[in-house]
Amino acid sequence: MSDRLTNLKTVLWTLVGILGAVTVVRFTRGLGAVTNLSDAAPWGLWIGFDVMSGVALAAGGFVLAATVYIFGLERYRPFVRPAILTAWLGYAAVAVGLLYDLGLPWRIWHPLVHWQHHSVLFEVAACVMLYLTVLTLEFAPAVLEHPLFSARPFRAALRILKKVTIPLVITGIVLSTLHQSSLGSLFLITPYRLHPLWYSHIIYVLFFVSAVGLGLMMVVLESLFAAYFLDHEVHTRELAGLGKAAAVVLWIYVALRVGDLALRGVLGSAVDGSWHGALFVGELGLSAVIPATLLLSRRVRESRVGMGVAAAFTVTGMVFYRLDVSILSFARPQGFGYHPSWEEFAVSAGIVAAFMLIFIFFVERFRVYDDVAARPRAEARPSYDPSTTHRLQPSVLATPGRFTAAALAAGMVAFLFLPVRGTEDVPTPAHPARSVEGIRVDRGAGRVHALTFAAAGAEKVLRSGDVRVTVGDGRMWPPGDTTISRLLLMIDGNRNGNLVLFDHEAHQERLGGDSSCVTCHHLSMPLDRNSSCAACHRDMYDSTQVFDHDVHVAALDGDDPNSGCAECHRDGAAVKSLETATACTSCHRDPVASDPVISAPQDRWRPAEGYTEAMHGLCVECHKREVQRHPDEVPSTLAECRTCHDPDRRSQLRLLEPSRTDPLPKRVAAGAASGGEEGP
Amino acid sequence: MISSPAILVDTTRCTGCEECVLACKEENHLGADRLRAGQEAVDGLSSTRFTTILREPDDHFVKQQCRHCLDPACVSACLVGAMQKTPEGPVIYDSELCMGCRYCLVACPYGIPRYEWDASVPYVRKCNLCYPRLQEGKQPACVEACPHEALLFGSRDDLLAEAHRRIRADKERYVPHVYGEKEVGGTSVLYLAGISLGFLGWSGHLGQQPLPPLSWASLKKVPPVILGMGTLMGGIHWVIRRRMQLAARAAEEVEQGGGDHE
Repeated sequence: MSDRLTNLKTVLWTLVGILGAVTVVRFTRGLGAVTNLSDAAPWGLWIGFDVMSGVALAAGGFVLAATVYIFGLERYRPFVRPAILTAWLGYAAVAVGLLYDLGLPWRIWHPLVHWQHHSVLFEVAACVMLYLTVLTLEFAPAVLEHPLFSARPFRAALRILKKVTIPLVITGIVLSTLHQSSLGSLFLITPYRLHPLWYSHIIYVLFFVSAVGLGLMMVVLESLFAAYFLDHEVHTRELAGLGKAAAVVLWIYVALRVGDLALRGVLGSAVDGSWHGALFVGELGLSAVIPATLLLSRRVRESRVGMGVAAAFTVTGMVFYRLDVSILSFARPQGFGYHPSWEEFAVSAGIVAAFMLIFIFFVERFRVYDDVAARPRAEARPSYDPSTTHRLQPSVLATPGRFTAAALAAGMVAFLFLPVRGTEDVPTPAHPARSVEGIRVDRGAGRVHALTFAAAGAEKVLRSGDVRVTVGDGRMWPPGDTTISRLLLMIDGNRNGNLVLFDHEAHQERLGGDSSCVTCHHLSMPLDRNSSCAACHRDMYDSTQVFDHDVHVAALDGDDPNSGCAECHRDGAAVKSLETATACTSCHRDPVASDPVISAPQDRWRPAEGYTEAMHGLCVECHKREVQRHPDEVPSTLAECRTCHDPDRRSQLRLLEPSRTDPLPKRVAAGAASGGEEGP
Repeated sequence: MISSPAILVDTTRCTGCEECVLACKEENHLGADRLRAGQEAVDGLSSTRFTTILREPDDHFVKQQCRHCLDPACVSACLVGAMQKTPEGPVIYDSELCMGCRYCLVACPYGIPRYEWDASVPYVRKCNLCYPRLQEGKQPACVEACPHEALLFGSRDDLLAEAHRRIRADKERYVPHVYGEKEVGGTSVLYLAGISLGFLGWSGHLGQQPLPPLSWASLKKVPPVILGMGTLMGGIHWVIRRRMQLAARAAEEVEQGGGDHE
């Protein structure tokens, strides 16, 4: 065995070892533990590379089978078996890759039972499963020819398989045509997510044609791989023929791709200098334009290096085409990127490595390349030699031992690096009241002059209309006032865009700190630390549902006991309940728009009739008390309507137009706690 | 159950109190929000949050949830029939069938379905319009919980009529468009708003065409491709083999003839 091959195998076994370590975590801790997949990027590298690209890279199988068996180009026969083997292993690798990617891989058989003819993915799954079967049958003769299978049933199977070669090949071509194109059709349903440079109504044609070109170039690459690592003798003339065919197919692909863009009128976005444009140009150049141009030259086609470079370009570029469609040009919510984790790369690389090892295994043991199969394998040769009997370990074990060590060591190192990613419980987020950075202007002795927005350098017209202040730089007029920066709550209970600026902090200070919450926030239920308004007030636009029966009895009965019952319970025969009673709104007609009730009854506590009354009870009553008790500290107008309301429209809160540059709601009322009449 | 049940979301009435979110969590036993490591904050939906309130600039509160499309892309995408459009209307999910391919997450034009990324046995999670509650004749939990009548439940036709009535009645309050009436063939969750709600979809202007026919355009070509490709390949093979046989026979005859002359 050549040193090259040994080194390659060591590298491949190392990758397999890493794969092993990641596998353990993937299947015990879930997808989230090893991938960067998210709801924003539900499909990542494992779909984009392992599945989408894997299937395309295995296209050489059906292309070569068609070339030799259908079109009768016998000189390409030596390429068929390696191509079929690559295809077979490629599809097996796709299936293994899917096992990693599927959330519930043990249900991979479900499509067999639950047919969904309207799903493109079902068609892909069905075709891939059938084609994997076909490929197994197509490659089986290579295994059955081995002396190991000389028993009669094997010979019979071999004869049957050889007889059905042509039907198998035709079935394989049909299935490949279907699913190579359908991998593109998968994205027909995402017209709004896939970038227009990639979203096309003929995407399935593009996927199919590109797969044919890619398949041809993969066969070239395999031959060169076998030549380099397995001392396979390359048929240069046939290689050149494959190159020529690939060039034709790739030019057709370029014409289709560019023509489609031109017809859809999005060709311009390919050259507008955007990231997507650059990605498109790079991908098309790499996958088709550059290699197809190179292949025009006979010198390139007839040189191993030339063919290798062209094939490498196409393979890389076509993989990028698949990655562009499934990942790179696929829209995600703003701020949600996707870059594969190292574990995702490790799984993709590990699966490829594992299947390359299986490829080498088959090539070394069965007749895949005639010249390689004819040679005895170095490591299988008995190495007993009297002159070397002093060696403790026979060399036949030395090389496999090295592979085992590489895989185990790599696996253990990888295991150490595997992060333990997990989840954390996050409480349902609380959204604080809307607020704005504001300025409170004090006139000394706690007398509030005005509340206004803070916007550096902006000149504000305060609500009285004649006071101009420049806020943000500390200058203030009239002199002698002090300004305090405050976070002002913006209360818009009616949800009509009219806001009141509310200095919560000032109220809290004045009412006695933390223990004073309940003065306004009467909303907490017993034993409840934080119940929302809606826990009691099921509809703030309607009469409150906290119904006080006694208040209604007292009001409706007057002096005559039980005389008022029928006002609500009109149907005397019915059970007296909330459901059978007259609706509240039949008396309390419009709790929002009706004239506000300024004076809440003082004689007893009762639930407010509606939202307006509740707010007035909370604000106005307290403001009145403040004016009475502390005439020196608060403006005398604090409890008057115009403190909060537009004098002309009492049902509307006062408005203040913020400057256009402010990122604020369009209409804001100022000064719930201000005394604006104190201007000069 | 009423025919084609639907929800009308009047975003101008929503105060963002998130009672609907809490009711939904309670109804579906979702528990506390769980964040994946590296994720910044709860925004939008998650596998433990089937509905949420998006806070748009200028204090517009927009309820986010599964739209229950009339012709849902997720249902047509699912290859095992785990996503189902019930005859009544709600789009539901059968976790027994799902194999975890996540094509539904890819296909949804609104980006709604969520996945349990951190479970070793993960499922897709999304709103089912409280299908079990509807069967009992109840309203969806979120609608019942809404304290401000921002959510209205009823049959889709009634709600559309109501939505257009509201737009006519208050032209200043609403943009004249019922979001979801025609988008991607129509949805069962309809929106009234004072702003354009284009940001709810992957594109600001979702077309009126439903998405599944786009896939069907390719799928319907499967039988012709099988027939055409099969016949074409068989035909070519037959013709070429026939010509090769004839050529071989001709060569043989030439050889024999040549032998005679010698």
